[in-house]
Amino acid sequence: MIREKQEEPGELIQGTLEMLVLKALARGPLHGYGVVEWIHQTSQQVLKVEEGALYPALHRLELRGLLKAEWGASENNRRAKFYQLTAEGKKRLEAESQRWARLTAAVAFVMQAS
Amino acid sequence: MNGNLHEFLLRMKGLGRRQRMDREMAEELSFHEEMLRAKLLREGMAPEDVDAAARRQFGNARRWQERLRELWQFRGVENFARDLRYAARALRRSPGFTTVALLTLALGVGANTTVFSMIDGLLLRPLDVPHSDRLAVLSIKLRGPIPNYTFSEPMFRSLERRHDAFAQVFASSHAQLQVRGADGNQEITGQYVSADFFSALETAPLLGRTLTPEDDRKGGNPAGFAVVISEPFWQSWFGRAPDVVGRKLTLNNTLFTVVGVMPKRFIGTDPMQRPALYVPLATERVLNGERNMTDFGFHAWWLEVMGRLQPGVTTEQASASLGASTHAVLEESVPDAGWIKTQETHHIQYMAEPGAKGFTYARMAFRKPLVAVLALCGGILLLACLNLASLLMARGAARERELATRLAMGATKRRLTQQLLTESLLIAVTGTAIGLAIAPLVAQALAALLLGGQRDAYLDTSLDIRVFAFAAAASVLVTVLIGLVPALQATSSSLNEQIKSGSHATQAHERKRWLPRVLMSFEVALALMLVVGAGLLAASLVRLYGSGAGFDARGVQNIAFSMDHEKMDADALMRFYRTVSDGLSQLPGVRAVSFARMIPLTQEVWDQDMAAPGKPSHDIDLNSVAPNYFSAMRIPLVEGRDFRWSDSPTADKKIILNQASAKLLFPGEDPLGRLVKVTDDEKKATYIVVGVAGDVKYESMREPAPAAAYFAMSQDDGKSPSYSAVVRMDGPAGPLAGAVRELVKRTAPGVPAPVVTSMQTIMNDSLSAERLMALLSVFFAACALLVTAIGLYGTLAYATARRTSEIGIRMALGARRAQVVGMVCGQNATVALSGTVAGLVAALLASRALASFLYGTSVRDPLVLGGAIVALALIATAASLLPALRAARIDPMAAIRCE
Repeated sequence: MIREKQEEPGELIQGTLEMLVLKALARGPLHGYGVVEWIHQTSQQVLKVEEGALYPALHRLELRGLLKAEWGASENNRRAKFYQLTAEGKKRLEAESQRWARLTAAVAFVMQAS
Repeated sequence: MNGNLHEFLLRMKGLGRRQRMDREMAEELSFHEEMLRAKLLREGMAPEDVDAAARRQFGNARRWQERLRELWQFRGVENFARDLRYAARALRRSPGFTTVALLTLALGVGANTTVFSMIDGLLLRPLDVPHSDRLAVLSIKLRGPIPNYTFSEPMFRSLERRHDAFAQVFASSHAQLQVRGADGNQEITGQYVSADFFSALETAPLLGRTLTPEDDRKGGNPAGFAVVISEPFWQSWFGRAPDVVGRKLTLNNTLFTVVGVMPKRFIGTDPMQRPALYVPLATERVLNGERNMTDFGFHAWWLEVMGRLQPGVTTEQASASLGASTHAVLEESVPDAGWIKTQETHHIQYMAEPGAKGFTYARMAFRKPLVAVLALCGGILLLACLNLASLLMARGAARERELATRLAMGATKRRLTQQLLTESLLIAVTGTAIGLAIAPLVAQALAALLLGGQRDAYLDTSLDIRVFAFAAAASVLVTVLIGLVPALQATSSSLNEQIKSGSHATQAHERKRWLPRVLMSFEVALALMLVVGAGLLAASLVRLYGSGAGFDARGVQNIAFSMDHEKMDADALMRFYRTVSDGLSQLPGVRAVSFARMIPLTQEVWDQDMAAPGKPSHDIDLNSVAPNYFSAMRIPLVEGRDFRWSDSPTADKKIILNQASAKLLFPGEDPLGRLVKVTDDEKKATYIVVGVAGDVKYESMREPAPAAAYFAMSQDDGKSPSYSAVVRMDGPAGPLAGAVRELVKRTAPGVPAPVVTSMQTIMNDSLSAERLMALLSVFFAACALLVTAIGLYGTLAYATARRTSEIGIRMALGARRAQVVGMVCGQNATVALSGTVAGLVAALLASRALASFLYGTSVRDPLVLGGAIVALALIATAASLLPALRAARIDPMAAIRCE
């Protein structure tokens, strides 16, 4: 789902894209393009989300009630669909962050073992 | 909120706004693409390269949108809708198949539901009263296997007093009451009920009170006579007036006070009656005047008796206790010691049986026909399903190529199966819906057939929703399961082979198709059974009619005069009847007019024991007739003379015997001028034999003509003043009713309008059960033949269509057309032959169940069996000939080129 720019190929764990999307929206509503850009920038141009994966993920989250969508005006004054976390979404993001922290810490432990 | 639920709701919302959502998805994606393009421009890309670069990075917007759309869809629902549309189109393309499938299902479901609902209403459903399982029906074991369910009034009163094993013993009897309204008297069905009737049935009234022992007394309660009315009567007569309790009703010229209203669900104890009025049993004496049953004492058996068991007592215990009290009850209620002695040598005994379902004579009369009809319906449903199965299979086989092509184009097996199932489901649901629509019509027709002449009987024809649900579920399930077979068959074999073989000349495929043939053989067997059954019943009916009643019913009309409430002495009565007779004789077309108290074949009996002096006495069926009766009915007068109006009450009492009673009373002697004596009442009247008439069936067509005798109407004592006129006439009977009403109005204005029925109708009514069975079974057999013919035709037509090129090759190689016809027909011939043999064996085994319905017809009647086989052979031939001829017309060149 996620294509890495770097040469080292590595499978990102499933569900990670959805977690990243939730995280991107944690600071306020964004449209789809904004989400891609934010992840791209924040990951220092390492993570590039493919559009073909992003929109299904956004719509899936909306269907599940983690996001809600509203049409609004974009920065260049065009009609755009803005996504926003629901209370449910915030809870899920919290849970996912913790899970992720535990997972990375565990992986780090394993990798640092001599 | 639950994630799944949220998803479901959003999708539901999306369902109706498909277009708008599509637009928004496109807009969202194009916004993204535009932002991307703007970014590329900002990064300094040449404008002419931007489009290509953006597309490269963004990919195919249409594809993304398709994925989003899928996300939002109810995939199942929308595929289903598409399948449904496809199935409807496919079914419309083959109207023959569709019609047959729908009709067979509709018939199966509609008829089965109706008949079963009726059986449920009549035979199975308990009375809607509290603890109906504690009720018992009382009966008397006399001679003969069937107990007697009617009691005389003194017997019942004695049982009512000594109710040991029962909390209450109560009686009821049908009452036809004339209720005085604003415009004359109206006949209303009611019921005589005894003191504890309502308390035993434990149903509270809607308004007022029920009848109590206070009311069931000579003269009524201190305030007068009380009547309880039903809710429908409250509605129709009083317009649901809230102050109905305390209002007056005039019943048979007697003033009654309404004391209560019973709720609609309360119908008394007879599921075939809907009494509107409940009057105390003790008022029968008043209501029926001189002709009342109560005063006939132990001679009149007219009450149906039930009881509610004491707590803790079983029906068996109650029955035993009743049996033990038989002698005491007889001593108390029968004044004739000789009679008791005779009966006790025959082990007369009171009994009780479970009475949760109440009591109705109709149950005894209709049980067998209804169960037989249910069996027929079940047979038809089975036949319908078999037919559908083979048709669907043949269809599936013929569509193999289509399915294979669709598989090759990328359809999954699951989708194809789903789609075939949808088609079956559509057939099943539509067929069932039609069945539901026709069920009320079937119910009404059947009720009319069953009830025949009984005007005041009520047959609950409301459909039982549980029964319908069951029949519908069963047929839908069956159809879907059947649909599954061709679906699996069609999608199982390898795709390549299917496309390769298609409708080719290879035979290997054909041999696999044994299942439809076995089904068709089964169907032929079943159809043969139905046809044999119908043939036997019809033959029996024809023989019953042919056996003759002893009189000529054609052209005879009956006019029933109800004179029971007239205050006329014997002389006035005779004058009235003679005036009517003279008036009727002058009507155009009338050949002969006479009168009789008992009309033959109406199931009514009047009998007494009679004996020649010094000889043993015999039970003789009686009638009282006017002069000319024998010529009007065309009953031969073998010896002696007819009655005359001049045979007056003061002269010697005359009697005419029939041949059977003459032989019984005077074996080997000439009865003319001899005396016979009534031996079983106090008067011991003596009659002189003046003639001997031919034997006539009395109670019903099924029984042989009994020993009977005729009294002279002109010597009647006037105690039973209601006679029927017997009019033999040419031409239509239509004007008769009007003329007779006019005549009566002129001579005796108080007499209710007489009822005119034709003797033929009475004869038909007396055979209603037989007629019903014969009619229905012939109808069902015709359906079975039709369905079988269509099935045979359908399967063969499909099979032949698949063999077109094979046949083409055969013809190119020199096969003659006759050979082709023979080859195609041969396929059905084996099916028909094996089915016929199996059906014949099964029919012979099963027809024994019919034996009790048959009159003078053996269950192995060779004519019927032969006829049934010929009928099936003809049908099978007709069904095979069409596809065979079509096959013979195949142009070999065209058929081979088709490959």
